[in-house]
Order: sequence, then structure tokens, then C-alpha cells
Amino acid sequence: MPIWSSLNRRMLIKGMAAVPALAVASRHARAAINGPIRLGALVPLTGAGGVWGPKMALVQKMVVDQVNAAGGIGGQHVEYYYEDDQTNPDAGVLATRKLIDVDHVVAIMGVWSSAVAAPTLPICWQNKVTMLAIASSDSLSALPHQGYFIRTNVDVLLQGQEIGKFAISQGAKNIFVLLAQTPFDIPMMKGLTGTVLAKGIKVGSLVYDSRKTSFRSEVDQALRASPDLILLGGYPQDNIVLLKDLYRAGYSGKIVGTGTGVTSQLIDGAGKDVVEGLYVVRPSPAVTSTAYHKLQKIVGMDTPDTSLCQCYDQANLALLSIALAGESSGTAIRDNIRKIGGPEGEPVDNAVDGLRLLAQGKKINYEGASGPCEFLPDGNVARAFFRTLRVSGGKLVNV
Amino acid sequence: MNQIAQLAANGLMAGALLALSALGFNIIFAVLRISNFSIAAIITVGGYVGFIVNTMLGLPILVSVVVAFLAAGFVGVVSDHIALKPLRRYGPISVAIASLGVNMILENIVRFGFGNDMRSLDVPAQRDWLIAGLRIGPQQFYNFIVATVVMILLFGLLRFTRIGKAMRAVADNPSLADIKGINPTHVAQLAVFLGAGLAGMTGILLSLDTAVDPTMGMRMILSVFAGAVLGGLGSIPGAVAGGLLIGLAEEMSLLFMPVAYRSAIGFLVIVIALLFFPRGIFGDRTS
Repeated sequence: MPIWSSLNRRMLIKGMAAVPALAVASRHARAAINGPIRLGALVPLTGAGGVWGPKMALVQKMVVDQVNAAGGIGGQHVEYYYEDDQTNPDAGVLATRKLIDVDHVVAIMGVWSSAVAAPTLPICWQNKVTMLAIASSDSLSALPHQGYFIRTNVDVLLQGQEIGKFAISQGAKNIFVLLAQTPFDIPMMKGLTGTVLAKGIKVGSLVYDSRKTSFRSEVDQALRASPDLILLGGYPQDNIVLLKDLYRAGYSGKIVGTGTGVTSQLIDGAGKDVVEGLYVVRPSPAVTSTAYHKLQKIVGMDTPDTSLCQCYDQANLALLSIALAGESSGTAIRDNIRKIGGPEGEPVDNAVDGLRLLAQGKKINYEGASGPCEFLPDGNVARAFFRTLRVSGGKLVNV
Repeated sequence: MNQIAQLAANGLMAGALLALSALGFNIIFAVLRISNFSIAAIITVGGYVGFIVNTMLGLPILVSVVVAFLAAGFVGVVSDHIALKPLRRYGPISVAIASLGVNMILENIVRFGFGNDMRSLDVPAQRDWLIAGLRIGPQQFYNFIVATVVMILLFGLLRFTRIGKAMRAVADNPSLADIKGINPTHVAQLAVFLGAGLAGMTGILLSLDTAVDPTMGMRMILSVFAGAVLGGLGSIPGAVAGGLLIGLAEEMSLLFMPVAYRSAIGFLVIVIALLFFPRGIFGDRTS
């Protein structure tokens, strides 16, 4: 079912049923919030992240639409603005300035690329706008962001460590890492080598320019190291070419990719023979959570990926934080997001239910589709799930 | 030594596709004296036409290549007529800037139609051939052969046919050609059609080897432009030589610099060419 047609009647009816409760019980919020609540998103509609961006924006818009259908927050309408960062830092900076200076948003959500997040995060914290990001480079949380940075994704260092554990479990002796030139190169290598070098595993690497159309020479260089496991640390557009070149070169060792770099589109596009046996170690959504099941229904997909899950959670978290604070500002989100992320309080999996409980004066614990949504002081998630999958017969299956 | 030979082989294969696009760029430049950067998106259009014809309609690769050439040529002529032709009287810079706009529009039309997902043509993945210790990709080799044959045919067209002579006449002196009864408008349209068609053919050949996605043309354009500048803007043999040299240079650079900086080769070549031999290796308009 198309994502945009899935805000169905049942959901709207449920939302409408919540209107009286919200209208009556959120008087304190109504008193404090003047004018519409403006949320922004900086998503990659084009460029390397263009595979995800359009759906990410639609999911967040659906969350906002549900809240508006239920009466908004404190009687105020929620407005959602999104801009295309083109997966490009320059375009990202311009789009951020537009969202903040023209649209006056209080949060910028869905920031996917670390290369885009790095120059735009300072603009956010200088303007007291909270960034809710997917970008996973560790350097972002180390910036002096004054708390205006919240990341729903697992940072790359942890991902590197998890891939290292996977390599050990597979009995790898010689790993080669093919990394696209991005800000997550260093933490990925740090996480991986920190885990495997102590076990005597050899690690080689090269950083390539992902804007090229052929990577035969890069593959040749990797194969000269005779690795028994190759880690693909790039985006799907370059991974598909790398995988084809590895297949053509007759490489018979194991290949593992990240959740960002290996998508279902890549598996469909590369061809069965090329991707057969490919492993993926990726942060896993909370697939057993009620929020995940709700998201499945909203987007009409059996397996919404982690980016969609995170975008769903970000919109819910931002809205609930504003409602709890009774104030529409980036500072309100920054100061309240940890109060609604648990671990204490009544569990909720969507903004409409959460708003109703908040209005009743209850403490809530938002349990998201991407994970528990508990955040450390530096903006990183406190807990995360990982999953290892393997391509078998053209499909990803759990290992 | 084997590594150098392998890099040279890889460079020649990649360079053949760059040469094909650079040839398209230079044919347009030779006749119209404009830099049409929208050929980046036309490369993409060629890839997607190939995807439609080959994967969606199930027609053979050869048919797909021909249709991609024709469709890309048509898109080139239409976009030139609508967006670039009215601006020609304002000078080449205006047209070049407008062509960047056309490029964005075409790329996003493709995106609206097909999304950002990668797609592959219906060709089986084949293992490389091992020849004298060198790995040669069958598809890359076929692409090299097709590109070479097309370039030879184009030389023949320009050198030995009335159409080719008319094109060269307009490229040399449009006013004189007009006096001699050659319609410069028709010749210009033919040049755009051929140039865009070659770019579209590059797109489908590249797609056969890699995959189709909306950014594929943009990822090539710097190297294509560098090849055209190096060979000499407007020069037909120059485009071929320039494209091949850029392909070789990008691969050979890996002997002494990290692969992450491969794209810098294109910029470096443009700077050196403009500083020391701005007319390119073959000079301009030597066709």
C-alpha cells in the first residue's frame, strides 16, 4: 500500500475520539503555547540518501497529521516544514537557514547524513533549535551542542564494535574495510579495530571517492590483501558497484555491510548471484514494540527500515516534549525529551495517546519503533538493539 | 608491473565511456559554441531508457542501446529547443548556466518517475576473464568495443558524408555555410541530437556494467568535461583522446595517491590544461 494513502479512516476516527480529552485536559499547554507549533525536517530527498528521504518526510507528516486531527497541542495547530538537503552539506546549510530564519521551526528532525549534520548542528544550537538526527558520526555528539542534539540512531563507534564482534564470531583472520569518504570512517574503524585487533585479526582499509562510477581498482587493491572478510562501509549506490566488482573478481570470502549501506533496494538491484551470502549488521528497530506495529500499519510496509522508525519516533518525541513543557521551543524539547523517554511512566507508542495521558497529568514513557528512546546527556541513545541478517535466495533472513 | 598493466586496462575501459560522452559534449560545442552541461542528466536518461526497454519491456540489449541513443537525442533536442536556444543570443555563459538548470530539471523528472532507488538492467553477472594475468570484465570489454565502433562510425559520418561536411562547415563558419545553402538551424539540431544521443548511449553502457540511479550522470560529468577540455573543446579526435587520457590518469593516479582523491584528477587536468594549453591537445575545432 502506498505510504501516503495509509492514514486511514480508522486512525482518523481514533484521533477524533481523542479530541475532547486533549481539548479539556491540556489547558496548561494552551495557556503557554501561542501560535502554531512549527516543526522542521532536513531530509535527503535527492543525492545518496534520496532512497530514504521522501518516505522519512511522509512518516513525520503523518504523525503531525494525526496530532492535528486530534486537536493539535493545547489547541494549537502543528505545522510541518521539510527541506531537501540533497545529501550535500552546502545545500543542507542553506536549507537549515531557511527552516530557522523563514519558517521559524523549533526542531529540525530527520537529519540523515553526518556530512550534512556537522555544519548544520552549530546553526541549530546557536538558534536554540533542537536537532533530532539519524546521522551516526560520533563527532556530532562530541560538539559543544549545549544539549540541542538528540540522536535516535546508534553511533558509529558502537556499530563498528558490533561488526567486530560479528567478524570474530565468523572466525575472520584478515579483514579489509572499503570506506566511502564520510565523517563516519574514523569511528567505524576505531570501533572495529578496538574489538578485533586484540584477537589478533589483521585489518586493512582504504577510503574511496564515492562519486566515481567504477571501483575496479579499489577492489583490486582490497583483494591484494587477500582478506577473508570485507566490510563495505559506503552508501548503497557505491556498494552495488563494489559488490558487482567483487563478484566479477571471483572473491569468495565473506562480505558484510552496514544497515545504511545495504538496503532491500540494493539487494533487488544487484542481482541474486551478486548478493547471495552477503551479511548485514545493523541497528535493529524494536520489532516487537507496539510502536513498530503501528508504524507498519501507517506506512503499509512489513519491514519499515530503521530510518523510518527513527523519523516516526522523532516526530512523536518532539511533539510530546513540547506538550509536557507547555512551550513551543527548541529549549523546551531539549529540557523535556528525557522526561518522556522513560524509563519511568506509563508506556505510550504514539503522540496522540501520549498527549492524552499528559493532559491527565500522568507521567509517560515513550517506547519507540526504533528503540527505547532513552537518551544520554550527550544526545546518544542509552540502549540499542542490533540484528545480523544474511541474504539468502535474494531475501534478507535473520542469522 | 602487473599492477600498472591492470590499472591501464581499467583506465582504458573507463576512459572509453568518458570519451563517448566527451565526444557528445564536443560535437555540441563545435557547432553551437556552447557548453551544454545537461548531458549529465541525459546520460542518466539513457540509463533509464535502457532500463525501461531492457528490464521492463524485456527487449534485447542491442535494441535497448539503439533506443537509448534515439530517446536521449530526442530529449536533448527538445530541452535545447525549449530552454537553451532562446538564450543563445545572450552569450555562451548564459547558455552554460541554463544548461545546469536543464540538468537539474531532467534529473528530477527522472527522480519523480522512478524514485531514487537503484535499478539494474537484465544482464547476468559474469566473472572476469583472466588474460595474461589481467582481469578484464566481459561487460566492460563489450562496452569498450561498442564505444570504439560508435566513435569510428561517427568519424566516418563527419568525414565522408554530406551531413558531416555540412556540420563541419557550420562549425567552421556558420555565416559562410549559410550562404552556401546549409541550414545552420538544422545542422545545430543534428549536432545536439548526436551529442545527446552519445551521452544517452554512455548512460546505458554504464548501466550495463553498474546500475541505474538518478545521480549517475552527475558523477561522470566532471571527468567528461575534463576530457573535453584536455582534448580541446570542440575537437572530435580531442574528445576521444581526452576521455581516454582522463580514464587512464584517474586509474594510474592510484599508484602514487590515495584513491579517495581520484576526483581531484579531473580538476587538476582542467587547471593544467587551461594554464598551459588552453586549446587542448588537439586544439579546438580541428575536426
